[in-house]
Amino acid sequence: MKKFLKSPLIGPLSAMILVFLIVAFSTDRFLTVNNLSNIALQVSVVALVAIGSTVVIFTGGIDLSPGAMIALLSMILASLIKFVGLPLVIAIPLVIFIGGLLGAFNGFLTAYMRIPAFITTLAGLSAYRGIAFMFNDGSPIFSLHPFLDTLFYGSFYSIPLPLIYVVVLYSLAVWGMKYTQTGRKIYAVGGNPSAAKLSGINVNRIQLIAFVIAGLAAAFGAILLASRLNSGSPNYGVGIELQAIAAAVIGGASLAGGRGHVLNALIGALTIVIVQNGLNLNAVPTSMQSVTIGVIILIAVGIDMWRNEIGYSLQKLFSFKKPL
Amino acid sequence: MMTNTQESFTNSNPELLWELCNITKKFPGVLANNNISLKLFAGEIHGLMGGNGCGKSTLIKSLAGTHSPDSGQIKLRQNIISLDSPTDARQKGVATVFQEFSLIPTLTVAENIFLGRLPVKNGQIDWQKIHADAKSVLDKLELKLSTYAIVSELSVAEQQLVEIAKAIATDAQLIILDEPTAALGLTEIKHLHTILRRMKSQGRAILYVSHRLDEVVEIVDAITVLKDGEVVSDAESSEVDIDFIVRTMIGDDVDEHYPKQCNKTNTPLLELKSIQTHKGVNNVSFTLHKGEVLGLGGVMGSGRTEILNAIFGIDPLIQGEMKINGKLINAQCPKDSIDSGIALVPENRKFDGLFFNFEGPENITIADLNTITQKGLLSPHKEQSLSQSFIERLQISSAAINKKVGLLSGGNQQKIIIARWLNAHSEVFLLDEPTQGIDVGAKVAVYELINHLTSQNKAVILVSSDHDELIAMSDSIAITQDGTITDLLPASQVSKADLANTTSH
Repeated sequence: MKKFLKSPLIGPLSAMILVFLIVAFSTDRFLTVNNLSNIALQVSVVALVAIGSTVVIFTGGIDLSPGAMIALLSMILASLIKFVGLPLVIAIPLVIFIGGLLGAFNGFLTAYMRIPAFITTLAGLSAYRGIAFMFNDGSPIFSLHPFLDTLFYGSFYSIPLPLIYVVVLYSLAVWGMKYTQTGRKIYAVGGNPSAAKLSGINVNRIQLIAFVIAGLAAAFGAILLASRLNSGSPNYGVGIELQAIAAAVIGGASLAGGRGHVLNALIGALTIVIVQNGLNLNAVPTSMQSVTIGVIILIAVGIDMWRNEIGYSLQKLFSFKKPL
Repeated sequence: MMTNTQESFTNSNPELLWELCNITKKFPGVLANNNISLKLFAGEIHGLMGGNGCGKSTLIKSLAGTHSPDSGQIKLRQNIISLDSPTDARQKGVATVFQEFSLIPTLTVAENIFLGRLPVKNGQIDWQKIHADAKSVLDKLELKLSTYAIVSELSVAEQQLVEIAKAIATDAQLIILDEPTAALGLTEIKHLHTILRRMKSQGRAILYVSHRLDEVVEIVDAITVLKDGEVVSDAESSEVDIDFIVRTMIGDDVDEHYPKQCNKTNTPLLELKSIQTHKGVNNVSFTLHKGEVLGLGGVMGSGRTEILNAIFGIDPLIQGEMKINGKLINAQCPKDSIDSGIALVPENRKFDGLFFNFEGPENITIADLNTITQKGLLSPHKEQSLSQSFIERLQISSAAINKKVGLLSGGNQQKIIIARWLNAHSEVFLLDEPTQGIDVGAKVAVYELINHLTSQNKAVILVSSDHDELIAMSDSIAITQDGTITDLLPASQVSKADLANTTSH
């Protein structure tokens, strides 16, 4: 329990619960099974993409390209199914593989060619979407496969499938960061690249791996989005990279690298979606929703920055109980 | 015992310039300064000493206006004043040279010296005046630097001197120097001392913080020693000697400054044959034996660090060969060297050594995660128990087990890095200035670690600018100059003067 209270997850988690309660009190349409499973569906795409963005952030990098990657990968998936005629069991793994390759390309440019991650992925943000528009003369590809939308709308023992993907992939990511050497090295590279190199870590390879993970995560996002709408479109995923980064940041990951927990991203993504949902239910216009998300990002990062000061003044306030 | 008596002041009745009365400052969980009083006279150099975490920095920061004490008074010429901000302190005549550089690396020397108070003429920055004024400040210090030089392109020693130039440019009456010589070579230290004596004769007060005992005793007129936030001793320097300070700082008697154990054997461990790198290592050959400590003597820039970098695979060899235990190794990157049993304890712990996002155990295990891997997965349990055993063996603060390493003292941080290499089963330890910036007590602990390593048949290559330490702790000393080794002698045949001669040339 003490360990849990000290964990970096506690702050973002309580913030999320607070937001949840506020929204629940503001409208009685929030706490319905229908609405909550709607939230689960809504959060799934961003949440999956955010796994990759967060891992890249852990290494001290940033990934601006997953939105454009999603557009490209959804068009590749659609073409493979519709025009090449590949069955889903082949097309889907192939798209995941291509996602990994795109990530590896970002990682190669960043780690080995020493172009800053911000620039590499900014270029990707533009170029990948451009390539997406080269498919099918830039038009969306519809009605891909009768079974495809089951991947999104289906359920398993009445649990929506996207929720299961989220739980499975986050468990895998949490496990990987905690129990594998690669996970530990990702934190080391983000914490101090120079010390990492002098400790015998192949810094370039670790950065590359982080981007591959980001590419795979984007591919999962693309497949989920394509199955939701049973189509591929070069306009998919616009702005999702920023939502994913915002999720990581709101969840408490440090953009300086080396610190944070993968679950930060899930908590952050949920916070954003709950706020959006609450504002929707209260008929707040979209423009105001964007402003609200902006304010939340500032508050979340502010709290993170001022954590020590806040902790100190709280300690003063409740000075009857003093650790140390 | 000191020679200061004859210059013990031009002015027999020195003016009391600044006075700290009963300063107390608390931080969460720590009483950093407890009832400290200190008097600073015009024309006097006052040494402030004490181990890490003794409250020196906190005290300096009170005088520099960085933070205000919880209680106590600060008096300037007998008047009680308050220092609300660094700017306020500067206006009242306090200039501080902090340990961490406050220079902006991308700006020129002149811009840095006048940063925050660039002279303005007709609403525009007066560049001519800045460079002329900066030039005259540098001249005062007899520094031959261009005022147009970009700070990041200067050597560390030059940067330190620019930092001092910045402080004296304000014409301050009190100059605080926090570890000003940590990055300086012998010549530069001498130079700095000349400058300080000149400023002293101009009637300024100087508060001088340093870990280098010999140098402090040489230059100061009075000394205050702090321990655990309290004054344990204050005295005129004519009354103190090094052993006295060491005793008061660490609290108990240290018979032996340098507890050297001789563990050298005749079995070769590391053999270098005419190695050469692109970074200036030229035709270096020597044999390091099991249990041996080989000291590399020479100034900054003589190639000491470059030789370590070559052995550690940072700069791959372009010629020559390197053998460990008779086996040829080809080190293209640090990992290759680490795998062959070589360890580097870098000069700059903060930038090259520690992971501040990690707690102690993760810092210890990072160079060889295989030691905590079971069935392909990291075992947190094994990591804890293994780290615990290193923490006990090396007598690291027990806080290391669950605290981020940034909260540990310099000495404990250094031990964490050594534990890292013990965990990686390294045999050859390259120690680059291992005692720089750590207090006397921690230094002794590092010496004991060196003994611990050599007693286990491991070997050490020691680079140190502290000549006493280098001679006392090494079995043999290699004199480096221009990337090559000019002489290799048993340490007993090397005198401090020999090193000083080679280094100051």
